[in-house]
Amino acid sequence: MADEVLVAEHLTKRFGDREAVSDVSFTLHAGEVLGFLGPNGAGKTTTIRMLVGLARPDGGRIRIRGLDLATHFREAMVHVGSIVEAPDLYKYLTGRENLTHFARMLPKGAEDRIEALAAMVQMRERLDDRVATYSLGMRQRLGIAQALLGNPDVLILDEPANGLDPAGIREMRELVRRLAGDRGISVFVSSHLLSEVELMCDRVAIIHRGRTLASGPVRELLERFEGDRLLVRARPAAAAAERLVAFGASDVETSAAGDLVSARVDAARVPDALRDLVGAGVDVYSVERPDSSLEDAFLQITGGETV
Amino acid sequence: MRFAGLVENEILKISRQRRFRVVVFILVALIGLIVFAQSRGRERFLGGKDWHVRTQERMANIQNWLRDGRMPASSQRWSRFELGRLKYHLERDIDPEAISGPLFTRAFANASSYLLLPLLAIVFASDIVSAEFQQGTIKILLTRPVGRVRVLASKLVALMLAITLTTVFGAAVAYAFGGIAYGYRGWAAPVLTGFRIGGQSFDPAGVRSIELWKETILVFGLAWFAMLCVGAIALLSSVLLRSTAAAMGTMVAALIAGSILPRLASQWEAQKFLFVTCLPLPDYYSGSPPPITGLTIGFAASVLAAWAIAALITAFVVFARRDVLA
Repeated sequence: MADEVLVAEHLTKRFGDREAVSDVSFTLHAGEVLGFLGPNGAGKTTTIRMLVGLARPDGGRIRIRGLDLATHFREAMVHVGSIVEAPDLYKYLTGRENLTHFARMLPKGAEDRIEALAAMVQMRERLDDRVATYSLGMRQRLGIAQALLGNPDVLILDEPANGLDPAGIREMRELVRRLAGDRGISVFVSSHLLSEVELMCDRVAIIHRGRTLASGPVRELLERFEGDRLLVRARPAAAAAERLVAFGASDVETSAAGDLVSARVDAARVPDALRDLVGAGVDVYSVERPDSSLEDAFLQITGGETV
Repeated sequence: MRFAGLVENEILKISRQRRFRVVVFILVALIGLIVFAQSRGRERFLGGKDWHVRTQERMANIQNWLRDGRMPASSQRWSRFELGRLKYHLERDIDPEAISGPLFTRAFANASSYLLLPLLAIVFASDIVSAEFQQGTIKILLTRPVGRVRVLASKLVALMLAITLTTVFGAAVAYAFGGIAYGYRGWAAPVLTGFRIGGQSFDPAGVRSIELWKETILVFGLAWFAMLCVGAIALLSSVLLRSTAAAMGTMVAALIAGSILPRLASQWEAQKFLFVTCLPLPDYYSGSPPPITGLTIGFAASVLAAWAIAALITAFVVFARRDVLA
């Protein structure tokens, strides 16, 4: 399919006896942002290293725009820009020299894009300073400019939010969304933060212990795995808890302070549950659906196995 | 994607790193120091006598030592060689201790081919790949649409250029400083070269007179060749060890071991197959007796070339195939 920009099929990588990545498959479609979600050590970076040709898979196949990476590395990599792990650049060179350096490794025309890309990532004023003097956020932005030099169809980003402050994370997120939206670039982005993926990605693939456990549109997955917990601040709490149990909610707990009830209720039945509470004369002060952590989600996905 | 662009990249990186300035500084400071120390000591050593008289006195001394018979075999060998060399200089009326800027320049090539010049080659070569690993830039370098073989080839070419430049710069600095102390003229003066030792006795068959400038070019050419071979081996250690400190440490240790070994264990003939023993090509070509029998200039150059080629093949294969995980 022309729409499939990057396809990973049954990727496997072994280090000695340990299988770091087992049978991982996913597809990145044109213009979408695919999140690659998993805790640290799940095999995300190893998978990404295989995607960009740094490591050779022991099994499976990677196709980029239909080109097999193992046999057509150079042709395939023309379409790929990447930042693997940290945005490492030559610290003793200036930003401009770094970009020129990597532009020389690309087909003609890459050097002409330096100015425009520097402007896009707001690095124009600092472009002639040495990278050693940059903040991490600036390096990350210059790294993005570097990844975009070849006008790629696919952008592969490994934990782009790592080490950035909240403002930097937001900036990064907006940049990624803009690249996918305005330029139609397909972005593959790994993260160990659920909230990050939720805000940035269209679809998500979840990896745990080297295996893909689930993949699909972000909202759908979130609802499937952890979308049913409800926190209700109500008085009297005991009556509220009683009503919720009667309603069919599970895992009903009352907090020590005595005015907070936690329960699991199907997302679709939440309005009914609330109506029931109010109808029973319970005073409801607030209702929340807290973002459960990735660990919570994994506890469910892996059936109680800890991350 | 042009190969020249890749080489340009590598040159940019070498020249912008601090080590480049360090090498320049080492050459200037060291040669300056040598010239200064040598010109001071020389006046005392020569004592103002006519060189014919001085050379005859030295020959008489050496003959006395030889007749004395208490000299170890290796020193005897050296003494016979030296005797033959001095005799030849007397016969051709060439002062064996003569000095001029050009002569100093040639002497610098001989003296630095053991250790100094190979060391500088190592300084450039041992971080050329490992630094990319340590900086993490290898992850970008190898994910561009350029084959790994081409990436390493561009580094090799840049390294060869750096080594060539170092050789030329070293020669220029030696001539500049030597000239200050001893005068800049004398490139056309004849020098005697090709002294050999056959078995235990002096072998005059190869001795010939050559103009100094030709000899100097030849000698620097040999030093340059030896540096290239050391550079190739250091490149391999940089690829294998992925750490500049480890690569440089290993190579320097090998160099130092190699400079000590012939003196400590000259009986062990197999060491002539070690690259470090073969490094002082200029010496094997023009001057002193080889420390190991059978170590001729041709043999030493072949051994070095074989090491270099084997190192390069290994480096390319490993670099092209190995996973980048660090």
